[in-house]
Amino acid sequence: MTDRKFSPYDSVNARTSISAFLIATAPLASGSQTLEWTYRTNGPEVKSSFESVRTVLQSSSAVIKRGRKEISYGTVMTPDGFILTKASEIGDGLGLSIIVDTQTYKNPVVLDTDPGWDVALLKIEATGLRPVELALDMPDPQRGVWVVANGSTSRRLRRPQVGIIAANAREILPAGGAVLGVTLESSDDRLRVTEVHESSGAEIAGMKAGDVILSAAGKSIKDRDELSKVMEKLRVNDDLTLRVERDGEEIELSIRLSGRVDLFGEDVSRNDMMSGRYSARRSGFPRVIQHDIIANNTDMGGPLLDLSGRCLGMNIARASRCETYAIPAGDLRSLADRLITQATK
Amino acid sequence: MTDPSIAAMFGIFSILLLATAGADSKRPYINDKKAPDSRHDLEVIEKHLIEALPASRQATVCIELGEGSGSGVVVSKDGLILSAAHVTGGVGREFTVIFEDGKKVKAESLGLVANSDCAMARITEEGTYPFVEVDRGDTTKLGDWVYALGHSGGFDKERGVVVRLGRVVQVKNDTVQSDCSLIGGDSGGPLFDLNGKLVAIHSRVDGSVQVNLHVPMREFVKNWEGLENGEFIGEGPFAKKPEKGKGFLGIGTESRKEGGLTIEKVGRESPAEKAGLKSGDILLKLDGIELSSKDQLSDLLKEKAPDDRVALELLRDDGPEILTLRLGER
Repeated sequence: MTDRKFSPYDSVNARTSISAFLIATAPLASGSQTLEWTYRTNGPEVKSSFESVRTVLQSSSAVIKRGRKEISYGTVMTPDGFILTKASEIGDGLGLSIIVDTQTYKNPVVLDTDPGWDVALLKIEATGLRPVELALDMPDPQRGVWVVANGSTSRRLRRPQVGIIAANAREILPAGGAVLGVTLESSDDRLRVTEVHESSGAEIAGMKAGDVILSAAGKSIKDRDELSKVMEKLRVNDDLTLRVERDGEEIELSIRLSGRVDLFGEDVSRNDMMSGRYSARRSGFPRVIQHDIIANNTDMGGPLLDLSGRCLGMNIARASRCETYAIPAGDLRSLADRLITQATK
Repeated sequence: MTDPSIAAMFGIFSILLLATAGADSKRPYINDKKAPDSRHDLEVIEKHLIEALPASRQATVCIELGEGSGSGVVVSKDGLILSAAHVTGGVGREFTVIFEDGKKVKAESLGLVANSDCAMARITEEGTYPFVEVDRGDTTKLGDWVYALGHSGGFDKERGVVVRLGRVVQVKNDTVQSDCSLIGGDSGGPLFDLNGKLVAIHSRVDGSVQVNLHVPMREFVKNWEGLENGEFIGEGPFAKKPEKGKGFLGIGTESRKEGGLTIEKVGRESPAEKAGLKSGDILLKLDGIELSSKDQLSDLLKEKAPDDRVALELLRDDGPEILTLRLGER
């Protein structure tokens, strides 16, 4: 799609395409001046001034590979080999290898995952690693602050990719909202489940087609509207208690809510079409900081560093052509502590 | 007063004045380095950004027009806005602009340059608005550090205006290219130099993340008067020139014995309805020409294009009245 030009003009709500879609403009006029690649924002000459930060990436970020393919980066949290990464990029977590600095570690163990943050805790057999130094004593970094993350990598060398903080820290609501993962039919003041979708929270909780929903979170339910009212306050991974009637008996189910997009996928918008390889899971995060580092879906999971090499957070989603999200340092600390404590109990 | 030495002195004097005016925002040394080569250099870029950003953010607006949204930037206290031609789409269009803090005001598009993607608009609600300075001297060069602002993907109050840093990587006559990545919704938004002066307006992108194109200020400055006067300049491709004969008013009329036409029907959502025309109104004149038949009205309208302004003289219960409105598109 190299000769296709998009007009950056977008529909607000549906993010669907509109008529202002420009195709191909005039070729380069002679006499135009062009900046050599090496002096561009992410060119080698510019990036060489970030060498001191690069050395932190070298020691405190991890390269996660499946076979010869780099599938994600990781953030080293402890000297003895606890590493966090983006859960949805590592699949079942089997058959992986991890490089930290120049050392390769085979078959790391996936100890736990946190679906809310889309983070997995990995463990490698190591000692004396240099964990990231989390910037915990600072407020959220403001717009304009330099940030550095993992760029391309070789077996021995981590390379940086640079950018700046781009927007306010905030929650990213799940695209499409939170859902049970069922199809419902409403008649005679009874709300009946007609289908339970594969790998939804409803399926995991044991919901069956034919169940009639009597109440949700203690509120009696007669139709969709009443259920929607209860649902609209809830987030992905919240648990919703339902009383249902099955074969004349009343039973109680606790259902973990899924993201609509995670369960059913989403339409590709025009903005998506110009965004390259973005993360499949890119919404539904309790809190993120946003920066403008250009990345692919496989570049997430590594640390986001400032000019001093301190860790401002962990990259968690490439959201679009101009937006990359990271979990803020404070949230990353609590998340790591919780996952590591559970794993070592 | 024809002494040539005085004229020459005056010339020198005005050059000095210009030099002084330019000196208060000095060109950052970092722009004249091929690449930053120390932490200090990087911190200088960061410091410029952090100092300049608050004012640039305040003046950057989201433009909600029709089905989509773009961006724009306020360049005068009373609310003159620069944006892209493919965002405003025409002359005399009414729309809403939203500032970063959520404040909404009404605005109207002025002129545009259809072949280079310039557009001007103004806020129609009286007030004083945060604005930025235009780099009229065209001081930005290849390699300069710049930052892009915009309401990427539409307005989002929690997120605020999105900033991206980059360098000017290519300069052409009516286009500059930067490596600040743009996306839908950024169109019409501002590109600033490190002093927070407006140097270009976002126009379009390529499939490649590195190719982001902007219209430089010199293209606006060159067309400034026409833009202010609401002219449609150029033939495209960024805006389609309204076509004669496609003007749409939206009324059904009957001839009237005493002269003029009786309005029988007013189309829903038509320009006529929006201007307040009602069935039963009597239409006496269009642009000062007395009307006597339906055919005459339709011939007059055939000479008009969408967005053209027409003056209608009406006779109502409480006397004569003149309404002006802009035609829609048939």
